[in-house]
Amino acid sequence: MATPDTPMSEQESLKLISEMIQKAKTSYHETGVSALLWGSSVFIAGVVTFLQIQYSFKLPFDIWLLVLLALIPQVIISSGEAKRQQFRSHDQIAVDYIWIIYGATIFGLVIYQNFVPSATQHLIKAEGWTMLKHSIDGTLADEPLTPFAPSFTSVFLLIYALPTLFTGLLTKFRPMIIGALFTYIFFGVSLFTAVKYDMLLASAAALVCWFIPGIILRKRFLKSKATNV
Amino acid sequence: MFKELDPILHSQLRLAVMSLLISVREAEFTFIRQKTNSTAGNLSVQVQKLKEAGYIDVKKEFKDNYPLTTCKITTKGIGAFDDYVKALQEYLQVGR
Repeated sequence: MATPDTPMSEQESLKLISEMIQKAKTSYHETGVSALLWGSSVFIAGVVTFLQIQYSFKLPFDIWLLVLLALIPQVIISSGEAKRQQFRSHDQIAVDYIWIIYGATIFGLVIYQNFVPSATQHLIKAEGWTMLKHSIDGTLADEPLTPFAPSFTSVFLLIYALPTLFTGLLTKFRPMIIGALFTYIFFGVSLFTAVKYDMLLASAAALVCWFIPGIILRKRFLKSKATNV
Repeated sequence: MFKELDPILHSQLRLAVMSLLISVREAEFTFIRQKTNSTAGNLSVQVQKLKEAGYIDVKKEFKDNYPLTTCKITTKGIGAFDDYVKALQEYLQVGR
């Protein structure tokens, strides 16, 4: 860099401006750790749930707790990354916000899924009726049925796609855009498939939205780190 | 009639600093120094000039027992940068 008072032509000024803006843009490299962690935990939880339904067994704990547990190292890693960062770009802040909103939405949906069925059961009971499972051909006796939101994984798939597409579009990161578009297709498919297959679709979404982009981000980050040494 | 180019911005290092800061929300002094390839002393003087002009905010604090200086462009700075770029474009259009 020349001295501050070196005379500049108009062209040189514009060139300098675009060079510095470009430098700022290319300085930030996502480490990919969060995407890898989140992607792998949702993938595993989806596949295990599918296997549980398919082969009629039950683990002694809810496998989706793994996804919640994965949040702990993610928060620790993210705060460490934030501390080491020497600048914060506008895009990065917008991306952080959308993922916080995503986290809150997922949390809200989990609460909804856990509380609404029993709350609805109590409400309809108070009105003096109940839901029953009724066999059409009359071969099976009626059974009480707890209310539930049908194909609820479809809603999760829609929510998975939202921040992924936003991040992909804002940061011009094609793997996430493609992943989100695939997830919208999975959403469409999930409207017509049974719950166990919805779980496989959720796993596939985790792969395309986060795991594969996470690997690409990680490679880019390590490459940029190596060139900066 | 051409607008006069803002003398505060029409200087290599100060323009480089402003161009970096316009692209980010805030940046540490070390980051700016690395990206502008400048010396700490020289950069300090130019950052001070930008601060005096009201174009940037400079925050000094301690992080892990080390001094940390963070710079952020102000609304006045964004306006000045915008005017400077427009003026440059005018000059270049006439020059064609």
